[in-house]
Amino acid sequence: MTPERWQQISRIFESAISLDPEARAAYVADQCGVDESLRSEVEKLIDSHRKASEENFIGGLAAENNAALLIDENEVQTEHRTLKKGQQLGSYVIVDLLGAGGMGEVYLAKDTRLDRTVALKVLAPNIAADKRRMQRFRQEAKVASSLNQPNILTIFDFGEIDGLTFLATEYIDGETLRDYLHTKRLKLGEVLDIAMQVLAALDAAHEAHIVHRDIKPENVMIRRRDRVVKVLDFGLAKVTEKKTATRASDESEMEAATALKTTPGTFMGTINYMSPQQAQAHAVDERTDIWSTGVMIYEMVTGAMPFKGATSSHTIVQILEKDPGPLSKQVKVPAELERIVLKAMAKNPEDRYQTAKDMLIDLRNLKRQLDVSAEIERTSSPSMPQATVAADEMPRNSQKTRVLVFALIAMALVTAAIFGVNIWRSSRARPNVPTSPAPVAERSLTYWVTVQKFRNGKPYQDPFTQPGEMLFEADYQIRLNFRAPQSGHLYIVNEGPSGASTTPEFNAVFPTPTANGGSSLLSAEQIIQIPEQTWLKFDRQEGTEKLWLVFSNEPLPDLERIGEFAGPRTQGQITDPSLNKFIQDFLRTHSDPKPDYEKGDTLTTLKSTSNVIVYPIKLQHH
Amino acid sequence: MLVEWSDGNQSALDELYPLVYDELHRLARRYMSRERKDHTLQTTALINEAYVRLVDQRNVRWSNRSHFFAISAQIMRRILIDHARRHAYAKRGGGAQQVSLDEAATVTPVQGSELIRLDEALKSLAEMDPRRSQVVELRYFGGLNNEEIAGVLHVSQNTVTRDWNMARAWLHQQLTGSASN
Repeated sequence: MTPERWQQISRIFESAISLDPEARAAYVADQCGVDESLRSEVEKLIDSHRKASEENFIGGLAAENNAALLIDENEVQTEHRTLKKGQQLGSYVIVDLLGAGGMGEVYLAKDTRLDRTVALKVLAPNIAADKRRMQRFRQEAKVASSLNQPNILTIFDFGEIDGLTFLATEYIDGETLRDYLHTKRLKLGEVLDIAMQVLAALDAAHEAHIVHRDIKPENVMIRRRDRVVKVLDFGLAKVTEKKTATRASDESEMEAATALKTTPGTFMGTINYMSPQQAQAHAVDERTDIWSTGVMIYEMVTGAMPFKGATSSHTIVQILEKDPGPLSKQVKVPAELERIVLKAMAKNPEDRYQTAKDMLIDLRNLKRQLDVSAEIERTSSPSMPQATVAADEMPRNSQKTRVLVFALIAMALVTAAIFGVNIWRSSRARPNVPTSPAPVAERSLTYWVTVQKFRNGKPYQDPFTQPGEMLFEADYQIRLNFRAPQSGHLYIVNEGPSGASTTPEFNAVFPTPTANGGSSLLSAEQIIQIPEQTWLKFDRQEGTEKLWLVFSNEPLPDLERIGEFAGPRTQGQITDPSLNKFIQDFLRTHSDPKPDYEKGDTLTTLKSTSNVIVYPIKLQHH
Repeated sequence: MLVEWSDGNQSALDELYPLVYDELHRLARRYMSRERKDHTLQTTALINEAYVRLVDQRNVRWSNRSHFFAISAQIMRRILIDHARRHAYAKRGGGAQQVSLDEAATVTPVQGSELIRLDEALKSLAEMDPRRSQVVELRYFGGLNNEEIAGVLHVSQNTVTRDWNMARAWLHQQLTGSASN
């Protein structure tokens, strides 16, 4: 079938099905005229349309409709190698099967040498035969056993007996935080206790330059008898670059460190707890664990994950873009806890807690304050909202009451101040929220600059975001990001530091033949990143680069031509003198009136009531 | 001047494949077990799998959510088709075993070989009408709703609905064999 024929059929089909069934036949007959085969095609399609609706053809999701296809291959393998109760494996006697999964099985076992109970993880034979998987298993053993901290699961032994590879760890009689969350809603005091212990574990790991990278409720165990928290599964952990010069004379240590240094930017972990850096496959550091801990606390407090979409793609987009929303939406929480959690979940790692210890200290102070409030609640009885979210009971001496009242008032003031700051910040970060009736047809465009440092040609540290104003080093590479509440056409040219000469020369930046599908049209709320795959870097000539933005509610045919030059052929250089001249005149005539701009910590928003916004982003570089 | 730095065009598809692969398996398992209580070990095992698959992978970047959605949908399609092919192959090789369809299912399951035929039909559709083919890919494989599809393709939601109707009718016709090209 030719595309023309296809278009013809689809046009008639679409109109026909929007009509009542009685009117359809006449319409189709009328449209097709004497072309019998056309009519037959259309009628068959209409019939298929009816059947497809009735059968709900391809109505669900492919993955759901075919779930069975996905499962049966990998699932069944682990059964056959089960160790029996009472069976001996070296000095271990199997007591019970605790669980099984793709990697192997976990048994409750008795170590007869030391007469202690252990959890014995036995690797499935097909996995043990796989070199790379074995290496990962070994890494987990090495990393975790190098850490000695009460909140980290202790590794006892690792080896091979009778052809079976195993890992023996401390056995925790308890449940995972995930199971715990399934069964009950946590009290605030419990949340803080758990969070503080997780952070204590992370502090120790980070101290040893180990990033866990997979903090989530499934990997946090709570021991039944004393509620002690254990962080599990350093299987995804990585050793970060040593910040201080440590003597790495020990060769095996060196070897372990190199083996663990995975390529920066690998996808890892459960999606919902991933930091934006993990989700974008950027290199991650300790602050990724801070993020995940924040997400976990959020979930413990509200009972819901802050980022959870219909599919993994939706979730990732939320992680990158969505404001997690206030904790206090469903439950009453102290403003200070909200501040701590939201700080941990700052999109930009620079805005997060920089160390687990700092976050731990803030939580500990909060816990103390809440304990104090609870105490006051009991001894005197002013009704203080803070006090009703009581932390754990802690018997105290009532003589302290006066001092405590003072402390409480001070705390309330601090809380109010923090809350006030938050309101101020959020209103600044979202300049488009109308506070009064909106002025007629005000247009706005928000931009921000992502900066990636490079060293020796390789990305170095996490990229960060800023509103455009800074001194760029020669080895910084950048991306421009734009978003607007209304759709419009965007054009960008670059004017170099040489400044206005008689023969203007601009470089094409946007549109390009590939970015945004080759279109200059920015849809409402679409975020566009320029360039899409790579980075812009500065050339050798120091000075101020002007990136001229033109944002128009109509397409501008002359400026559309910019795209012709945004290719490897001209290296972006606009070689047509008449176009350069046109651009120069256009920028000059439209620069006035200047748009209003608001600079935030990371974003700049331009506003104007005219149909065309013209604005130069100035980037100063060495 | 600013110059674009090119690091060689890595295939985003290949980079993302393993991640989505594992997410899909998890989804499949959850779906089949209908919210049976999560088993710690299994989830961990899956992530371990993901890790092992990814140690050699390199950076992947996408430009915006549309790009990401589009790529994810493509990957979902590829994974499912890969599975269906392997499955069909195993069926042909081993003792053929008829799988009875769950009668309680509210949707028509497109199983194994039928999925492969759907894929083939989608390819033919893409030759005539790439956008309609993409609408199906984004919706059926990517799980996007009409609004999101409209965003990815820069068209109105009405267009998405129309495209879907036409594409679905045509695909149905191809798969039930009542077509005459």
